[in-house]
Amino acid sequence: MEIVEVRAEGATVAVLEGRLDTVTAPLVEARLLALLEEGAVVADLAAVRYVSSAGLRVLLRAAKQGMGSGRGFSICGLQSPVREVFEISGFDRIIPAYPTRAEALAA
Amino acid sequence: MAGSMELSLRLCPGAQAVPVLLDRLEAYAEETGLPMGPSQRLALVCEEWLANVAMHGTGASYAELSLWREPGSLHLRLADDGPPFDPLAAPPPDTSRPLEERMAGGLGLHLMRRMTRRLDYAREAGCNRLLAVLDVA
Repeated sequence: MEIVEVRAEGATVAVLEGRLDTVTAPLVEARLLALLEEGAVVADLAAVRYVSSAGLRVLLRAAKQGMGSGRGFSICGLQSPVREVFEISGFDRIIPAYPTRAEALAA
Repeated sequence: MAGSMELSLRLCPGAQAVPVLLDRLEAYAEETGLPMGPSQRLALVCEEWLANVAMHGTGASYAELSLWREPGSLHLRLADDGPPFDPLAAPPPDTSRPLEERMAGGLGLHLMRRMTRRLDYAREAGCNRLLAVLDVA
């Protein structure tokens, strides 16, 4: 799992690449929560080919923190198998998701 | 088609086995031309199973997987020698709750159930045995 941070206007984009699974989830969680201390975060998942329940839990925690602090957390660029996991979990209704990074940043 | 459509793996239960498992399953999907959707569902079912064995199976000395293809489906046999754990007995999470009320538990088992056409559990000779059937569209 690679995480690249891109500063954009009004938010930091965390560009994730690889698998968001049991092993990589703690690293991603620490990074996202630290970034959320500073401001709004968009997690760009366009290069994430796999998300398991451990990955979903991380995004849920980030979304809760983003909402609680009022800073905002959203995701973008879900690949179709990843989107299926979100839909089955009902996460598509609780975590703001956008097709592209530009749309997430404009929201 | 060249190459075997079967796969057998014996793993030491624990987080360190997860990337080994996922790498092998990705290689299997590539070698056998398994489409992306079924490939992700297969990986998910296997990871959730292994994570559960590692979490509940204190004392499990192994986790074993065998997998084979049939027309239109993937068959998985999963076994471990940990304490009895029936993944079908857990109540499903309420996926309609709003964000503030959503809890993180129960998700893995929910995904396992939803990604399989069939999921059977048996406790046999001191082992947990799961038989899963996944659709390959």
